[in-house]
Amino acid sequence: MKVLIANRGEIAVRVARACREMGLRTVAVYSDADRGARHVRDADQAVHIGPSAASESYLRIDRLLDAARASGADAVHPGYGFLAENAAFARACRDAGLIFIGPSADAIESMGSKTRARAIARRAGVPVVPGTDDPLDAAASEGEIRAAAERVGYPLLVKAVAGGGGKGMRAVDEGGGILDAVRVARSEAGSSFGNTAVYFERRLQRPRHIEIQLLADHHGTILAFVERECSIQRRHQKLVEESPSLAVTPELRQRIASAAVKAARSAGYTNAGTIEFLLDEDGSFYFLEMNTRLQVEHPVTELVTRVDLVHWQLRLARGERLSIDPDRAITPHGHAIECRIIAEDPDQGFLPSPGLVRALRAASGPGVRNDAGLVGGEVVPVFYDSLIAKLIAWAESRPDAIARMQRALREYDVIGIKTTIPFFQWLMREPDYIDGRFDTTYLDRVLADRRGAPFTTISETEALHLTIAAGLDAWWRAHGGVAPDQAGPQSAWTRVARLDALRVR
Amino acid sequence: MTFEIEVDGRTRHVSIERAGGGTFRVSVDGAPTIVDARRVGEFGVSLLFPGDAHAVTAIDLTPGSAPGEMLAHLAGRTVPVIVNGRRMARGGAATGSAHGEHRVTAPMPGRVVRVLVARGDEVAARQPVVVVEAMKMENELRSPRAGRVKEVEVVAGASVEAGRVLVVID
Repeated sequence: MKVLIANRGEIAVRVARACREMGLRTVAVYSDADRGARHVRDADQAVHIGPSAASESYLRIDRLLDAARASGADAVHPGYGFLAENAAFARACRDAGLIFIGPSADAIESMGSKTRARAIARRAGVPVVPGTDDPLDAAASEGEIRAAAERVGYPLLVKAVAGGGGKGMRAVDEGGGILDAVRVARSEAGSSFGNTAVYFERRLQRPRHIEIQLLADHHGTILAFVERECSIQRRHQKLVEESPSLAVTPELRQRIASAAVKAARSAGYTNAGTIEFLLDEDGSFYFLEMNTRLQVEHPVTELVTRVDLVHWQLRLARGERLSIDPDRAITPHGHAIECRIIAEDPDQGFLPSPGLVRALRAASGPGVRNDAGLVGGEVVPVFYDSLIAKLIAWAESRPDAIARMQRALREYDVIGIKTTIPFFQWLMREPDYIDGRFDTTYLDRVLADRRGAPFTTISETEALHLTIAAGLDAWWRAHGGVAPDQAGPQSAWTRVARLDALRVR
Repeated sequence: MTFEIEVDGRTRHVSIERAGGGTFRVSVDGAPTIVDARRVGEFGVSLLFPGDAHAVTAIDLTPGSAPGEMLAHLAGRTVPVIVNGRRMARGGAATGSAHGEHRVTAPMPGRVVRVLVARGDEVAARQPVVVVEAMKMENELRSPRAGRVKEVEVVAGASVEAGRVLVVID
């Protein structure tokens, strides 16, 4: 099997690693902006698919199929984002005789529509958040909109039927705002998904976001994994994920997992997927949606179950049977936390901070995993998602995992651009996070209360040391670089000692 | 050799002379100390303070976006450092991040959605001044410090390139 990876960045690197480990050859695709990117250098073959704009390259089904043909690939891994949940792409791959490493086009289609997915879940006996059963399309009258909203009850959420990632979603507290919210949600949904239909869902006050990873083979076996806790979100974007959740008991885990399996079975699901749930304060849980692909946060599951999900995606696509012990999949071994290292400046309201990464020194050592999409010397382009790496810490307990994450964040230097690391350094010391007192509304509330206070803080001593370092840097440059008395046989040992000191800092 | 160095809003006067064996006599605002310092790699500086319990600090320094500005990287954090800002301003070498005047620039190409201040307005440190849409997100650009708006160089709806000056704060 030769695998064309229809993606870029860290997920393309992640998939290529699995392929290489399994002895499979890989084909990268790249846009103009990505000719020098790591995912191209990591592959066996690479095909140019167009200009930098994603709509002209990574989203072009025709060019991806041409690339598969030109390179002799016989399978396609879509990664996440781009075309990963596009049923037409999955169908086009299969029509071209390629193995699509994911579920069937029909399963993507039925789970991709939020209202259809809710109906499937309900038919399978899985609770869904109370809401409208039918989509409200552009023809719905003001009267129909108001009546539907009254039936659901306030506060509610207006959501795009084709939505995802927080786009086309609006919260409404009472009846006065419903028409405006529908108008704004429609306009966002139209430009993002080409579909203006919306529906309403009752808004839970303090829900946690809990999700269940699934693997399903072509022989009727569906396996559920330990839950992931993804409540740390900014504007519906996940920033930190962990497994297991402090809010889930073994008994509740079994119930959520079996609900997830039932929903996936009734959709005829195969390969890897994730069912997202909202967990209310009273312990009741509701089907939210299904992601018909590998998720960004899959590594936390891998670390607590010791299962390689991407290996299994490839094996399942080849028709192999699932042979993982179900108890092992659902029993957490230790605790894992992931921080998304994004090229955004948390001290400027998470402003995108693309640009040249002069050097990237990733954390390493016991219990630390770094899934990065680039190396030093590469540019974070303005055209794509600004996730540059995922830092994952595993330890025997949650407090130890937090301590390990704090240590790893200190070790992680992305030199040349701003990243979200200082935000995570702050969060990992917040008592509410440490004690597990959070839900999906936590981060937006805390950020609003902080009113832009910076996450990057330095002590008086550190400020003094920075001042001295900058002074010496200027002095060295004024004296033509490194001073001559630093060379010589004796100082070679000092230099080695210092490099060691740098590493253990 | 003397320098004026600003870190975290505070300017310190630094004088440096070589003391041999990789060490330097460094005086910061008149307080002397001995620093054992080495370059490590292209950007790294390793500092060791023999007189301060042998404390060690490792810092990387890379050029910032304006003349005189450096980005210092310390234990996962990135902090701007301005070297000789006032002198460079007097000499006319730098204008952007010199003392007194600060320019809010577009960090990436995008479109100006809203301008939140007008010429002559007083702004607080970290107050949003312009909203730019880029990478499919609306981004608030903030004033780096308190001051008065000296110039507003864009209008709502304008397309801007990375580095374009949007607002000048005096």
